[in-house]
Amino acid sequence: MSVPDAGHADASFRNAVLAPTVAVASFQLGRLLSRQRLLLAGLGVIFPAAVMLAVRRTAAEGLDRDLAVMMIYALVPEAVCMLGLLVTMCPAVADELERGTWIHIAVRPGGRRALLMGTYLAAVLWTSVVGILAACLAVLVARVPQPLPLVGMLAALVVLSTLGRAALFALPAVILPKRALVASVAVALVVEYLAGFIPAVVNQATVSLRLRSLLVEWMGWRQKLPVEMQLLIDPQPAWVQIAAVCGLTVVLLVAAVKILNFRQFPPSVEI
Amino acid sequence: MIEVVDLVKHYRASDGSVVRAVDGVSLSVAPGEMVGLLGANGAGKTTTLRVLATLLKPTSGTARVGGCDVVTDPLGARRHLGYVSATTGVPDRLTAREIMRSYGRLHGLDEGPLTRRIDLVVQSLGLADFIDRPAGRLSSGQRQRVSLARALVHDPPALVLDEPTNALDVVGARDLLHLLDGLRADGRAILLSTHRLHEIEHRCDRFVIIDGGRIVAQGTPPEILGPHASLEEAFFAALAAGTAS
Repeated sequence: MSVPDAGHADASFRNAVLAPTVAVASFQLGRLLSRQRLLLAGLGVIFPAAVMLAVRRTAAEGLDRDLAVMMIYALVPEAVCMLGLLVTMCPAVADELERGTWIHIAVRPGGRRALLMGTYLAAVLWTSVVGILAACLAVLVARVPQPLPLVGMLAALVVLSTLGRAALFALPAVILPKRALVASVAVALVVEYLAGFIPAVVNQATVSLRLRSLLVEWMGWRQKLPVEMQLLIDPQPAWVQIAAVCGLTVVLLVAAVKILNFRQFPPSVEI
Repeated sequence: MIEVVDLVKHYRASDGSVVRAVDGVSLSVAPGEMVGLLGANGAGKTTTLRVLATLLKPTSGTARVGGCDVVTDPLGARRHLGYVSATTGVPDRLTAREIMRSYGRLHGLDEGPLTRRIDLVVQSLGLADFIDRPAGRLSSGQRQRVSLARALVHDPPALVLDEPTNALDVVGARDLLHLLDGLRADGRAILLSTHRLHEIEHRCDRFVIIDGGRIVAQGTPPEILGPHASLEEAFFAALAAGTAS
C-alpha cells in the first residue's frame, strides 16, 4: 500500500489538474456520442439553415447580406449555442448525483474541480463544433457574397459565446443542481437578455454585450447604427471585448469550482 | 488509520427542523482491522461514512483518515481513502480497465505506475475474465468488484464500504467479502457498514452498533455476542438496551 503523493503520483500541474480534467472531458464527450445527443446536435446544425432557406425563398431578390448576418448571429451564437450549453453544461452535477457517480468522483483529491472543468471543456468543444457547423451551413444556404470571412467571424463568435456562457451556466449547475436547467434559463433571460440590453454598468458583465459589440465592430456597422442603437453596444476595440469574455469566464469558473468544493449533498439528495 | 471522535452531524430539514443524523459517534479502525458498522436504515451509518469520505462536513467533532483531518486536510484524507457504496455508479459503456484508468487519473497517477497498479488490482480481485468488457454487460457482483477495484486504484491504506453487498446475491456477497478478507490481510483498515448481519458475523474484528445517530454498543465479537446465540440477536438486544436507556 502507498499513498499516491508519497509514491507513484506527482503533484505537477499536468498530473494534478490537466490529466484529471482531460479524463473527465473525454468521458463526457463519450456520453455525448449517444444516438439521442447526436440527433439533437444534428437538429442544432440544421435548424438555422432551415430558417435561412425559408427566409431566402420569401425574398424575391435574394437576402440582404447584413440582414442574413444578423439572422445567423441570432440563430447560431445566440440560440443554438445557448440551447447546446443548456443540454451539456447544466446537468454537470445533477447527472452525477442521479447516476450515483458523484460520490465516487467527489472522494478523489481533485475530483470536484476535474468534474466541473472537464464537463466545461466537453460542453465548450461539443457546442462549438455544433455551432460552427450550423454557421457554415446557414451561410451556405443564405448564399451571401464573400462567405468565407463571414464563417470565420461567426466561428469566433460561436467559440466566445460557448466559452462565456458555459461558465455562466456552471453557476446554476453547482448551486442548484436539481433545478439547473430552469435556473440556467432564468439566468439566460435575466442576465444575458435583460441586463445585457440595459445601457448601464450592469451590462458590462454580460457575454451578450461583448458578442454584439464584436459583431458590430467586425461587420463595420458602427457608423451605420442609429444613435439609440449605439447605446446597446460597447465602443471599446475588439481585443477588449475578447479579453472581457475571457476574464468573465475565469471569474465565473473559479467561483463555480469554489462553490462545488464546499457543496455537501446529504444521502437523500441522490436518487 | 480511521478515527472518529465525538462526531456530530445535523441537517436542516426542508420544514426547518434540525435532524440529528449523527450524535456523538466515536470509533477507530487500526491497520489490518475490519470493523463492522451496524444499524437499521436511518441509524446514521451512511452519514458517518460520508463524513469520513469528505462528502459531508461534520457539525462538530473530528474525523481523520490516515492522520488527515477531513475538514482541515480533505485532500490528504481522500488520498488515504478508498470508498465503495451500495450504488456502484459504474458507467455502462466503459470497461473496468477504462474506469480504473479514468479514476487513477483523478488521483494524478502517471501512465506507467497506473498501468502497473491496474494490472495488480485486476490480478488480486480476479477481474481478468471481464476487464475489457463494457460494465453494462457485467453481473451485479462483477460490477461491485469493479467498484472495489476503482476504490483501490490509488492503493489506499483505508477502505470505507457503505453496504457494499446490498445489491448482490449470496454468491456475489460471499466473493466480495472474501476479497475484503484479503485486503485486511494486506494491512488495510476496513470500515464496513451493513444490515445483513449474517454475512459479517464471523468476519469483523470488532462491531459498532449505531441507532438514532448514537452508538449503543461496540466491542469484539465475543463482547458483542455475550450470551446471545447470534449477532442478529445481540444486535436487537443492543438496540433494545439503547432505546431503554
